[in-house]
Formats: sequence, structure tokens, C-alpha cells
Amino acid sequence: MKKIIKFSAEHPKFVVAVLAIALVLSFIQYPKMKVDTDPENMLSKDEFVRVFHNQTKKEFSLYDFIVLGIVNEKNPHGVFNVDTLTKVYNITKGIEKIKGVISYELISPVVKDDIEQAGIGTVRFKWLMPRPPKTEKEALHIRDRMMANPVFYGTIISEDGKALCIYVPIEKKSLSYQISQKIKKIISRYKGDEKYYMTGLPIAEDTFGHEMFVQMAISAPLAGLIIFLLMLMFFKKINLIIAPMIVALVTVIITMGLLIGFGFPVHIMSSMIPIFLIPIAVLSSIHILSEFFEKYRQTGDRKKTIIESINTLFIPMLYAALTTWIGFLSLSFSPIPPVQVFGVFVSTGVMIAWFISMTFIPAYIALINPKTLKNFGALNIESQKSVLDKVLGPVGRIVVSKWKIVLFFTLITFAVSIWGISRIEVNDNPVKWFVKNHPIRIADRVLNAHFGGTYMAYLVMQSEDKQTEIFKRPAMLKYVARLQNYLKQKGDVGKTTSLADVTKKVYMELVGGSKQYYKIPSTKQGVAQCLISFQNSHKPDDLWHFVTPDYSKLNMWVQLTSGDNKNMEKVIHQIDAFVKANPSPYKIKYNWAGLTYVNVAWQNKMVVGMLRNFLGSFIIVFFMMAFLFGSPLRGLISMIPLTVTIVFIYGLLGIVGRDYDMPVAVLSALTLGLSIDFAIHFIQRSRSRYEQTKDWKDTARYTFGGPGRAISRNAIVIAVGFLPLLVAPLVPYQTVGFFMAAIMFTSSLGTFFILPSIITANPALIYVKKEKHFLCYPFDCIFLAVTIVLAVLYVILGYTHIGIKGILAITVPLFIALVCVCKCLLNNEKVCRILNLKKEE
Amino acid sequence: MLKKFCLSWVFSFVLLGVSFSGYSAGLTVSQIVDKANKVAYYAGQDGMADVHMVITDSQGRKREREFTILRKDVQDGGEQKFYVYFYKPEDVRDMVYMVWKHLGRDDDRWLYLPALDLVRRIAASDKRSSFVGSHFVYEDVSGRGIDEDTHELVSQDDKYYKIKNVPKSKKYVEFAYYYIWIRKDNFMPVKAEYYDSQGKKYRVIEALKVENIQGYPTITEMKASDLNTGGNTVITYNKIQYDINLDDNIFTERFLRKPPLKWIKRK
Repeated sequence: MKKIIKFSAEHPKFVVAVLAIALVLSFIQYPKMKVDTDPENMLSKDEFVRVFHNQTKKEFSLYDFIVLGIVNEKNPHGVFNVDTLTKVYNITKGIEKIKGVISYELISPVVKDDIEQAGIGTVRFKWLMPRPPKTEKEALHIRDRMMANPVFYGTIISEDGKALCIYVPIEKKSLSYQISQKIKKIISRYKGDEKYYMTGLPIAEDTFGHEMFVQMAISAPLAGLIIFLLMLMFFKKINLIIAPMIVALVTVIITMGLLIGFGFPVHIMSSMIPIFLIPIAVLSSIHILSEFFEKYRQTGDRKKTIIESINTLFIPMLYAALTTWIGFLSLSFSPIPPVQVFGVFVSTGVMIAWFISMTFIPAYIALINPKTLKNFGALNIESQKSVLDKVLGPVGRIVVSKWKIVLFFTLITFAVSIWGISRIEVNDNPVKWFVKNHPIRIADRVLNAHFGGTYMAYLVMQSEDKQTEIFKRPAMLKYVARLQNYLKQKGDVGKTTSLADVTKKVYMELVGGSKQYYKIPSTKQGVAQCLISFQNSHKPDDLWHFVTPDYSKLNMWVQLTSGDNKNMEKVIHQIDAFVKANPSPYKIKYNWAGLTYVNVAWQNKMVVGMLRNFLGSFIIVFFMMAFLFGSPLRGLISMIPLTVTIVFIYGLLGIVGRDYDMPVAVLSALTLGLSIDFAIHFIQRSRSRYEQTKDWKDTARYTFGGPGRAISRNAIVIAVGFLPLLVAPLVPYQTVGFFMAAIMFTSSLGTFFILPSIITANPALIYVKKEKHFLCYPFDCIFLAVTIVLAVLYVILGYTHIGIKGILAITVPLFIALVCVCKCLLNNEKVCRILNLKKEE
Repeated sequence: MLKKFCLSWVFSFVLLGVSFSGYSAGLTVSQIVDKANKVAYYAGQDGMADVHMVITDSQGRKREREFTILRKDVQDGGEQKFYVYFYKPEDVRDMVYMVWKHLGRDDDRWLYLPALDLVRRIAASDKRSSFVGSHFVYEDVSGRGIDEDTHELVSQDDKYYKIKNVPKSKKYVEFAYYYIWIRKDNFMPVKAEYYDSQGKKYRVIEALKVENIQGYPTITEMKASDLNTGGNTVITYNKIQYDINLDDNIFTERFLRKPPLKWIKRK
């Protein structure tokens, strides 16, 4: 590698040419870009939940809905006045014509049927609102009819009569943004007292996808710009700091080019790749430039300085890159396909960035005109102290003298953070990916305040032995009605609708319309005859949204007022409890479908998956640190700032009440990769100093100088560079912004305070050279063996589905073998000495 | 009668006040429609048939209905009475649906639900609702008002007249217009296509089999397809008989609870 660096400095034009070719190759992939904004793809296509969801949709002719709410707060009768209902009529007619809308499945008062009394012994089937009402009286009649229908009440109209909903079924979720724009155009023609709101999961998801790309075009370049300005502040030379910007840009372009070239769609996750790669790519370059900046004045030879700078930094930068690489690669073990893709490509990008930094930076420095570097570099440090020095110097001194206090505060912070973590709630809701004042969030709040809920989940019950007709049986329907009642009492569900409601309504109207007959008929024939009467309506097929034609499966519509996963989970538990305590009259099994439920399913997977990834990569990073620092104990110490950082950040989330959601989960990988970097640089650089001086105080002063400045420049550049994300209209971007700042801030603090405090307590822990290679100490060797076994176990768990026996069959022999190796080493002093000599070279 | 029953959907537009919009081989549109009406709709004084109905939805799931239809004309070309007795599905056996079809005013309809021991009059605001959950609508069964559409002969070939029908009032119909094809040899209407307001064809009704029964050309199998949902309903007619002297009493509320055993085999 060192040869390559030297080669790059000597043949800069070649390096630039190779990069240019790589860029062109990447660019020609871009026209192939496919976009995928469907969170359903968070589950693989053959995942049971997803298969069942789609099967249910098909079986009961269900569609994804855009929900259009029309609210009139000014009229005393709410929406039930001639003017508003006329608008509703015209809007419905307009929406019917939009391409991509399944017009015959539209849910609106305009296209729904009613059954009502029409004099003694007579019932009437009629359209609820075949034309706009002409008089207030007609409008109020429509209201009364809708209020009297359990299928409409709480779904199409609100309890207070002030709001009305049109449910627009769409052919594909990916059309929802486009269709919502067309609906917007239609409603803009009908201004007045009414307010219009649009919501629903598909629209939230698709709109997110749309805005995501807008954000990608704003946030990433903006972060780039601010990073650029900050670097300019630190290094003062524009032509020099262009280099890291180029590294970042080229890394992003090549990585995305690879992603697209391999045929992966740009998903919500992968759209975040650029934003993750920019700080990582800039990181190494800042270290190099920092070092170059410090040394250039002394030598005045740019080629020599840059090669020397890189050589000094080579090992820490390599390990920093490798740990980040591992952190993200661990995401490829995730059970969620888009997260796997994200992990693989970010980790690839990390290595690309590292390689480009190692080659392009020396090439670039070799290319720039030496004259422009005239005043470049750190001046006499003693005479002109920068702000950084004014802070870092005292910090270094305080930490060394007051190390006990620092460690004490670290422990307290740690304890409080652990408590905070215990308060973290796992929860997600795609609607909450938008900021509070986003139109979608407002619509969500208003409509869910008026209605039984716009979040639909479907509870599908079916006969366990595939018996048909069981859902025509009165006992079964009564059971379903009881379950609905129970859910209503529990209060977490806005509204439920089932075949039981339809049966009761038809029965009541057939028997004379009196409320006392709002019940299930006493015989199966009675139920059947009610339901065949229902089929004499204009929309007979509406029945098959609630039951299959053979009556072997029933679909209960469950409307939730919140799309929060925890709310959905609560309802799932309630049903489980009810069914357990109240056995069904016929053997049934049940499953859930609906987008609200699908979200729960993949998020549960994600949380468990992410936690496992995280622990796994933690072990692997530890393993690497143990080797880098030549001792498991040192490895552990180097990971203390990182551990405190992570515990602190997640503890903070718990304390401020921020939910653990998808973006937060993914960011844990970034935290791991970025936080360890500072510790690596700090320990590695201070070690080489200590070997020369054997004096910890001197080493501390040195480390808080040049290396300290490099670390803090890095921390500031990235933390501040990503602050603009905090005002982005999409919450996941805000989360990234917050995390970047928090990671940089906390892990640099951790590195500057905690590490030196520990070292002060006993410098020998980190610095004193051992006589033998660390593998030749029994404890260290066995400890490492355990780590290796755990790492292997982790990889096996991540990539295969073997059971306990298979795991034991692999890990136990491996462990025994490793122990044998340790024993051999311990008994063989010669090998130990050779190992040690090699290491010293 | 059967023929008349099942084809009435085609003939509803006949006669009264229809403006003639073209000539063909010496026949005006009105004459074609009138002739077709005579041939297909007013065969015999009365009639009956066993009907088997298979409703298939877009997923290929099938539901069946079995019923007997009795029909009696009050006046030739005028009012009619229908009595529909259901055998299947099993749990609606004995259910009866009765219609007195009137011209110029709403029909009278009754429904008898044995399990609820209930006779109800059904007031219909329009005739475009489903017939027992099938893809046929009530109007397909009992007949569309004769002067409710304007007719235009749009084309013809060796075999068929193609006639476009536009409703005079858009109220209470879901279609914008429809075409029918009438056979030239026997004036049997064999196909109808319905279009919505955007000019999209969404519904087709077609005769699958035409037979000669007691000297009357009769459709014995027909199909209604919903192009929106992809579902369809096929009706087959068996044991068709014309001129069987049905008693007028059968078509009264009294017989709803007690089906006429002479004609209805309760099995």
C-alpha cells in the first residue's frame, strides 16, 4: 500500500485519469436508476406477513386508499348542507375520472347504497346520494341515513357530522403521490367553508419518496457546502480543501453508480447513502490534511510531506476505515432487504473513500502549484495559538490532573444513560416521518380526531378445518360482534366493521327498521336470506370485502386513529387475550393484514435484527482493536469512549422520549463506525509518542496538540456540516443531523476526556510493551479465542438458518481448536518471540 | 315467456314516442326494434323455465343460484307478472321474488323470506340494482322502460343491426349509452354493450345459445360480464315451456308463502 501511495504522488495524472474513467463508468449507470418508495419492500417478497397481506387484499378485493377528508366547521349542520354535499358530489365525479383510481371501488356517499323503510311493510334499496341534494331537508335526510348505517358511521362520516371522507382506492401505491396531486387540483375548484385534507399510509409513503429526492438534492449538497466552508476556516486554502470535497463527491457518485449498475432500486434506505458517505469520506482526508498542515512548514516539500503524513496516519486510518466498514457490513445480516443493500453499499463506499483518499490526495497535492502553498501550514504553534489550542491545551492538563473526577462523571453519565435506554420505546409510523406542520401530518391529526381512524388493519378469521359457511352461523357472527364490542370498550380502536354489522343492519331494515331488531337473526337461513337481500343492491360485491363468497373467511375492518406501531401492537394483544379467554363457537384461526400491520411486522424484525447486528459488529470491532493494540485489555479500553457514546446517545433518546424507529436503528451502525475512529487515532498517535519519550505528561501534551486538532477539526466539520438537516421537512433527515452532531460531539469528548483519564490512572495499561506477543499470555489468548468464536457464531447466525445443533457442531470444535493453538503458543517461547519481533517491525 | 323474460332488457326501448333516425332495407329503427320485440318478448301468453345461474368473480370463485321463473302477460306488449321461486342456495330455499311490471309507473315488487317469515314490498328507486348478487341488474330481468332511450341505427351488415341507445334521462342510470346487436334473420337481440360517461365499455351481455322452442326462437344461455371487476354471470334455461295457462292467482301475495305445487317442485 505504501508503494501505491508513493506511486500516486509520483504519477498524479495517472491517478486522476483512472478516477475520471471510474466516474464516467458510474455516470453511465445513472439513467438506469429505479426508484422504490414502498416500505412494504422492507419485507422480502416471500415473507409470510407480506404474502398474507397481499392474499387478503386479493381475496377481499381490498385496495390501498388515499383518504380525502372534507370538513365544514362553519355550517351548523357540518358537511350536511346543499353546498358542501354538491361539492362532495362533484369531487367524487372528478376523482372517478382520474387514471389509476379504481373508480367502481370508490367509497363515497355518492356511490354507496342505502336500505331504508318506505312505508308500512316496504323497504327500499336506493343510492344514498345519486345526485346533489336540492334542499336543506334533503341534505339532512342524507345525514340521518348515513348516521343510521353502521358501515358509514365513523368511516365515511364523523360522529359530529362535520366531516366526511372519500376513500380513493388506487391501483398501485406508487401512483398515490401523482393521484393526490390531481385530487388537489380538483378540490382547488371547490373553495368555500370547507377544508380539505388528504392522508392515508400510501400517500404518506409515496409523498415521502417524492420529498426524499428533493431532500437528497438539497441536504447532501448543503452539508457538503458547510463542510467546505468549515474546512476553509481551518486550512485557509481553497485549492487544498477542494481535494476532500472531490473525494466525497467521487465516492458518492461511484457508490451510487455501483448500486444502480447492479440493478438495485433507490429505496428510502439507499437514498440516504450519499448523506452517510459524505462525512465518512471527508474524515480520512481531514486527518491527512491536518497532518500535512502541521508538517508542511517544517519540510516545505509537498510530495515528501504528504507521503510522510499518510505514512504516519496509515495504520489508524486503515483501522478507522475497517471498523466503519464492519459496522455497516453488519447490516447485510439484517433480515430486511433494503437494509442489507444499504449496508453493503455504504460499507463498499467506505472502502472506496479510503482508497481514493490514499491515492487521490497525494496525487492532488503533487499536482497543485507549489506557489499557492506559500503561506500554508501551521505557524509557530507556541506564538500563535488557535482557538482550538486554547481549548484543547487546558483540557489536556485538566484531564491529566483531575482524572478521578472525569471518571466519576463518566460513570454517572453512563448510569443515567442506561436508565434512559430502559425508557426507549420501539415505535414507528410513516406519517411521523413528516414534520409536525407538514400538510400530511395536519390532515392526519384533523381526520383522526373526527373519525374512527384512517389507519386500516384487517383481522382475517378463518375456519381452522376449512369448513365453509361458518360465518353464516348466528353463533359465529354473535361471537364476532362480541369481539367488536370488546375492542370498542378497550378504546384503542376507533371503529370496527364486520359482516355482523351488515347482517344486523339489513335484518333491522327488513323487519321494520326498529332499533330492537338491530341484531343477528336466530338461524343460519335467516342470516343467509338477509345477506341475499343485501345483494339486491347496486353494490352487491361490497359484501365480499367482509367475507369470502363461501363464508369460510371473515374480514373485520379495524380502524385505528394512530399509525403508531405500538398502538397496533396493543390491539393485537387485546384480540389475542379475548380469543384466549373466549373460545370461538367454531374452531377458527386468525391473522392480520393491512399496511398498518405490515409496518409492525417489519419494524419488529428490524429492531431485533439491528440489535443483533450491533452486538455482532461490536464483537468484531473489539477483535480488531485487540489486534491493533496488541492486547484484548487495550482493545477493551479503546472501546470505552465508543460504548459511552452509544449508551449516551440512545439514553438521550429514551430520556427525551424519542421513539426508536427505522432511521434511529440504522444509525446505530454509523455510530459504531464513526465513534471508534477518534479513539484509534488518539491511542495510536500517543503510543508512538510515548515510545519515544516514555513520559505520559509529555505524550498527553503532544496528543492534545496536532492529533487533537485533527480529531476536533473532524468532529466540528461533520457535526456542524450536518446541522442544516435539523430543519429538513423529513424527520429521518433530522434524525441523521442530530445523530451526526451527537456522535461527533460525544465521541470526541469521550476520547478527549475518558481515554486520557484512564491512561493517567495507569499509563502502563496502554503503553508498556510486553515481553512476549500478547497471544502468548494464557488469559489474553483464551479471551481472544472466545471473541473469535462469538464472531464466527454471529456470522453464521447472520447468513444461515442452522439450528442449535449445527451451531454447536461448528463453534465447539472451533473453540477447542483455538484453545489448543493457545496452549501450543504458551508452550513455545520461540514462536512467541518471533511473533513479537515481527510485530515490532 | 322465457325468451321474453330474458330478453326484455333488449326490448325495453320499443315504441312510444321514439323518433325514427334512419331507414334500412325499408325498415325504420322503430320497426326493427318493434319487430325484435314482437319476436323475442311476446312469445306465448305465458311461460316458465328452470334457471341455473353461475356467478363467477374475478378470482374465479363461483356461486350458484337455482330458481324457477313463471311469467304471465296481462296484456300483449303491456303489463307482465313474474314469480321467481328459489331452490338454491340451500339456505334461501322457498324464497320468492314477485314482480308486477307496469308501463309508465314503478313496478310492484315483493320479497318473501321464509326463514324470517317475512313478506316485504320492495320499493325501488331505480332498476339498476343487482339481481340476487349476479351481474344482471333488475332491469335486465324485468325490462327497461320502453321510452326511456332514444335509438339510432348506427350500422348493419348481412347478419345484424347495430343500434345505439341513449337514455333520455341520466338520472338513475350508470351508463351513458349502450349498443345492441339484433339478428336480421329472426330479429333476436344477441348482444349489448354498455359504455360509461368516459366512453369506456364496462359491461357486456351476450346470448351464448339460441334454440327453437315450440316454434319460438329462444335464448337458452346468456352471459353478463362486468369488465371493471372481471366477473361474469352465466344463466342457462332448462325445461322451457310456453302457453301453459298459468293461473292469475299465482301472482298474488297469498302464493308467496305457498308456492304453486303444480309448477314448483319443492324437492
